[in-house]
Amino acid sequence: MAASEQVGRVSAPPSNRRAAERAGQRPARLLAATLTLAVLLYFFPLFHVVSLQTQAAAAATAAASASAAFDPVTAAAKFWQIDLPAAATRAVELPALAPAIRANAESAKTQFSKSAGLGTAYFFVRGSGKVLSRDRNYLRLAPAGAESEIVALRIGPIFGNTVRDGSGLLDVNSFPGLQEFNALAAALNALVEKSVGPLLREKAVVGTTVHFAGCAEAPEGAAEAGEPLLTIIPVQAEVL
Amino acid sequence: MKIPRLLRVLASICLVALTLSKVAAAADTKAAGNRKVAVVVSTLNNPWFVVLAETARDRAKELGFDATIFDSQNDPAKESQHFDNLISSGYRAVLFNCTDAKGSIANVRRAKAANIPVFCMDREIEANDAATSQILSDNYSGCVALGQFFVEQIGETGKYVELLGIVADTNTWNRSKGFHSVVDRFPGLKMVAQQSAEFDRSKALEVLEALLQRNPDINAVFCGNDAMAMGAYQALLAAGKAGKVKVFGFDGADDVVKAVAEGKIAATVMQFPKTMARTAAENADKYIKGERKFPQRTPVAVELVTKANVNKFGDYGRK
Repeated sequence: MAASEQVGRVSAPPSNRRAAERAGQRPARLLAATLTLAVLLYFFPLFHVVSLQTQAAAAATAAASASAAFDPVTAAAKFWQIDLPAAATRAVELPALAPAIRANAESAKTQFSKSAGLGTAYFFVRGSGKVLSRDRNYLRLAPAGAESEIVALRIGPIFGNTVRDGSGLLDVNSFPGLQEFNALAAALNALVEKSVGPLLREKAVVGTTVHFAGCAEAPEGAAEAGEPLLTIIPVQAEVL
Repeated sequence: MKIPRLLRVLASICLVALTLSKVAAAADTKAAGNRKVAVVVSTLNNPWFVVLAETARDRAKELGFDATIFDSQNDPAKESQHFDNLISSGYRAVLFNCTDAKGSIANVRRAKAANIPVFCMDREIEANDAATSQILSDNYSGCVALGQFFVEQIGETGKYVELLGIVADTNTWNRSKGFHSVVDRFPGLKMVAQQSAEFDRSKALEVLEALLQRNPDINAVFCGNDAMAMGAYQALLAAGKAGKVKVFGFDGADDVVKAVAEGKIAATVMQFPKTMARTAAENADKYIKGERKFPQRTPVAVELVTKANVNKFGDYGRK
């Protein structure tokens, strides 16, 4: 049997021999190609099968950890110390803003205010004024450069989003969600109460001059005579 | 000429791929021709949400879409079924008012995975990467203004009850926190009970009736929405306390705006459901036309409505 096979292989023509060799190598090549493809697909899969529930849970966990990691007090302190003072130098001057509101409150809003999305419009304003009167929550000033007007500076408890949104620097979409953004507003209000309120309550007596930068909600219209044109929450103040 | 086997296999793969791409292209063409937009709303058992849903539907129709409203009846399971249906039916976009800030995220993700953009209206989902955009009332600042008015009306001492909305909804907490950021600064104002009535008028009536038994001497009720404010007012009316106990709501629903004018309800906060619904529908239209850059959250301003300014408001907005 072995001798006849040996004879057969020797006597076969060269073309048939090559074909037989190729046929013998084919399973090995196929196996090698399959293995290579398997290895490639293992490391570089064409697609991933992911459970939507798992994906949703992972995303919820990521959102929850982003929310948990957010510290409104730290974020407020950074904004208060770095971003807000830099922006205060660019705030609109009250002698320019006051007559603009008196002339056309809607145009003044368009020209000078900032708002987030379709939210409330706010002015970021700077100026100075002589203290005309004061009560538990407000100073009333005659602003330099617009003495016919009155503006109020809030010195009582601070509420709401005016300080957060007034400068137009903070974007809700940079924060984990609305609850965190609102917590930031509360932390900023606390900073105003701690850093600005005590100075004004102590030193801003009638007759003194207050230099300030602050935020105010844009009014719908110009106030009636004797009423404040703007109610400003001061973020910086100096009393002379 | 003999074609090598490898070449034949490759040719077959190309043929299959071509066939599949033709099928996909045909599906795309069909989708492009399809103008179906879904409006999925948490409930139609509250006139405010009816206005939200109908305005979204009507604006979508004005923009040339075939819009359909799906009512989730405040049931996350029903909401999920609506998403199953609209995904399998090939809707182009969803204008969405969710039942649960966390629980609804999975539905939005399923739609997104099926290339259906979701535009949230009024109620937030607590994810930044699921919805295409979220148009949301600035509930917190609205309730800050309401809280300040509350202190003006009640004074710095008194007792009150708070009726919360659905506890899984972030609007409930944004409103509550805004209100408390003011009122809690006055230690003389004591909250004697805080309970959920799930934004529902009937539940508010039942809850306040029970609370009045234990707390007959309250001065005010702060309600997280206007439906609950009307329920609370009914409970006070039945107890002979209407007018003596002040009720504060939130939404700007037509019946409450009228009640503010009549002095039955002390104040509400006007949200603008029509603005939110129209903006969501217009965003969906822009998306379908190719725009992809939308802010994730767009806050919408709200306004305090009191007897002093109530004549400026009506029909779920400013006159």
